[in-house]
Amino acid sequence: MKLLKRRRLGRLKTSLALLLTLGLLAAACGGSSENADSSESSSDRSDSNEGESSSGDRVEIRWFVGLGTGSQEEQIDGQEKIIEEFNDSQDQIELVVEFVDNGTASSVLATQIAAGNAPDIIGPVGLGGSNAFAGQYLDLSGLIESTGYDIERFDETSEIYRDDDGLTGIPFAVFPSAMYYNKDLFDEAGLPYPPAAYGDGGITTYGEGTEWEGEWNYDKVEEISKILSVDVNGNDANSPEYDKTAIEQFGYVNQFTEDPAAMGSHFGAGSVVSPDDTAKIPDQWVAQWKWYQNMIHNLGAAPSFEYQESEVMAGNAFNSGRVAMANTHLWYTCCLADEDGNFRDNWDLAALPNYEGTVVSKFHGDTFRIHEESEHPEEAFEVLVYLQDTAGLELLSIYGAMPADSGGAGNFFVELDQQFTQDVNWDVIIDGLDYPDVPNHEANMPNFLEADARIKELKDPILSDPDFDIDAAVKELESDLDEIWSEG
Amino acid sequence: MDISIFSGQADDNTPTAKLNSGSEVFEGAQARRERIRGMLFVSPWLVGLGLFYVFPILASLLMSFTNYQLVSDSGVSTEWVGVDNWRRMFQDARVWNGLWVTIKFAVMFIPMSTLFPLGLAYLLTSERLWGRRFFRVMFYLPSMIPFVASVMVWRFYLNDQTGWISKILGSVGFEAPNLLSSKELILPTLVFIAMWGVGNSIIIFIAALNGVPTQLYEAARIDGANKWRLFRDVTWPMISPITLYNITMSLVALGQYFLVPFVLQGPSGKPEGASQFFTMVFFQETFSFFNGGYGATLAWGMFIVVFSLSVVIFKTAKYWVHYEYEER
Repeated sequence: MKLLKRRRLGRLKTSLALLLTLGLLAAACGGSSENADSSESSSDRSDSNEGESSSGDRVEIRWFVGLGTGSQEEQIDGQEKIIEEFNDSQDQIELVVEFVDNGTASSVLATQIAAGNAPDIIGPVGLGGSNAFAGQYLDLSGLIESTGYDIERFDETSEIYRDDDGLTGIPFAVFPSAMYYNKDLFDEAGLPYPPAAYGDGGITTYGEGTEWEGEWNYDKVEEISKILSVDVNGNDANSPEYDKTAIEQFGYVNQFTEDPAAMGSHFGAGSVVSPDDTAKIPDQWVAQWKWYQNMIHNLGAAPSFEYQESEVMAGNAFNSGRVAMANTHLWYTCCLADEDGNFRDNWDLAALPNYEGTVVSKFHGDTFRIHEESEHPEEAFEVLVYLQDTAGLELLSIYGAMPADSGGAGNFFVELDQQFTQDVNWDVIIDGLDYPDVPNHEANMPNFLEADARIKELKDPILSDPDFDIDAAVKELESDLDEIWSEG
Repeated sequence: MDISIFSGQADDNTPTAKLNSGSEVFEGAQARRERIRGMLFVSPWLVGLGLFYVFPILASLLMSFTNYQLVSDSGVSTEWVGVDNWRRMFQDARVWNGLWVTIKFAVMFIPMSTLFPLGLAYLLTSERLWGRRFFRVMFYLPSMIPFVASVMVWRFYLNDQTGWISKILGSVGFEAPNLLSSKELILPTLVFIAMWGVGNSIIIFIAALNGVPTQLYEAARIDGANKWRLFRDVTWPMISPITLYNITMSLVALGQYFLVPFVLQGPSGKPEGASQFFTMVFFQETFSFFNGGYGATLAWGMFIVVFSLSVVIFKTAKYWVHYEYEER
């Protein structure tokens, strides 16, 4: 009898355990049913609130941010506000955003596309970031035509985004380059500021009417950089006592523009693809790499990679207050603040120097793309137009970008003046549009991802190795590129 | 007399045999039921294992024979390419460099990741050490800090211009070595950083050392053994299974070693690929160049290397690992 009871008890325990397991399984797999319940209750609530439509009736448009600018912490709140305003403004579309860190955005997007889960809108993204996903974007020509969108106002700029797939982007933001300079360091050294405007053909003069007067070119940059570079003992880089192992401040840096193609373009635009489709590194690029290597390692007038990564510069050399001049883009206004987030007011903008008579204001351009497999291209285009136009100025301010539509530039700089109250010389940015790098340093090329990674391998040795043989490296690079392109 | 009772052979027709037979039938049915129930209980985990481990593993093996791209132009389809990826792997200079970097690192890392925590564990179990618990916590603490955060600190610490090492050496008149930019010093530097995370191994060795029976030490002391002989002939054999475990774990960790060099030195493994481990080549091919098929081949290549080395270690274990009880 006891045995029978024990067996019954055992069966009961087994059944309970089975039930518990099934319950746990149901709970684990039942996320959707729970969601269904919650959405049901939310629709119940919306039913009770007349005039409000439940999000379930709306078409969901996913916006992927991070391939270019936009995913930095300080940029997120502003974009979320814009999304909220868009969602409140109509009841047909639910805009959902995904912020992905720029370092991993490319991999995340690739994985989403591979899984058949591509977002509808991707951007803002520059040409370089876009090249990685060439062939994935929707041709917007049909939508532009059917909606009557005014593309003509961008003149020829929109042609940047025309490729074999059609017109895959609308110009949104442009980022010309200029010379940022630290007024305090120039004052301290008793040097005149770099020229505030371009002259004929971009050629201008430095220190007019002073003992430093001369053509504003990279030789002059080198000359004054040596005066502005100071070691711990107060010697400048012209002094035989100058201690290159203990430098306190430098004259010049290619701020965040140290990828070889970007650096090379400072001395003149060019393409690594020669007319016969073989690799040929432009001569002016090689000259620029040698010039910068010399500035860093022989003269001690520009910070090495190690200096830039040290705790005193923390990866943002010019902002550290230890570099007098920085050649970089308009977007660098994002990163001119102290540890508490207060915008710096001791800098201004100047014209860029020439190299052998050529001035280049290296150019970045951002746009929004629609993925070709978007299930709702019309709705995605509606959002894209909203981001471009209605929310455009606000977004441009968040991204530190100038509108591609030159008519909006004035308002944009008024917004920037509220952040930087020192009356920055923004004219030199607008004038820089006359000296873009054509072909662009981020232009597409065969087997782009591998070729681009190979070119970028030159950056570290140029910045870190005083003995790096640039001529030999260039020959090797050309040979490797030919091989990479033949594989592609 | 039924001789079968004495011979141990039951006659199937006896009442006892019939009872036994009925009981076996009953137990057999119960055993079957229990097996089924057991399978039901473990089935969620089996489903998970199948879906999230076995299937991806097999899928990646299949992928290694295709030209699968994570992102490809529309109209481009994945095709079977046979052993092309495998052939390419053997001809790829970056793969050989990655493997060579990994091997050089292993030669330093595996002995260090075994002997260093063993030495510390030996110290931390010493009865004469004051504040043992405090030191145990201190040595374990680094294991609890996210490695990405710690790598950023190491980057500042090792900087040849402003880092602490540079400042300390500079203060006594020495020029600081450029640890992160030197092709010769970067791997020893990474091994040095890796020693920061040996807290787990220390804990395991401490447990092993505490598990050695004290009577073995007492017997050895009576036989006149000095400290070295105590370690060599008592401690080392008794903790050798744990040492085998730690070495195997180090080997597996080596096959996955990625985060520190990637964050510290970038995807190209500067300087000039001197810190580009095999895993970084795999990452670059798969997630930067989107070559999924070739990436799967590289992952399998690494698995084969690590698995082969593990087999070698287990095969040699009979010569140096001492088990208290003979294996059956």
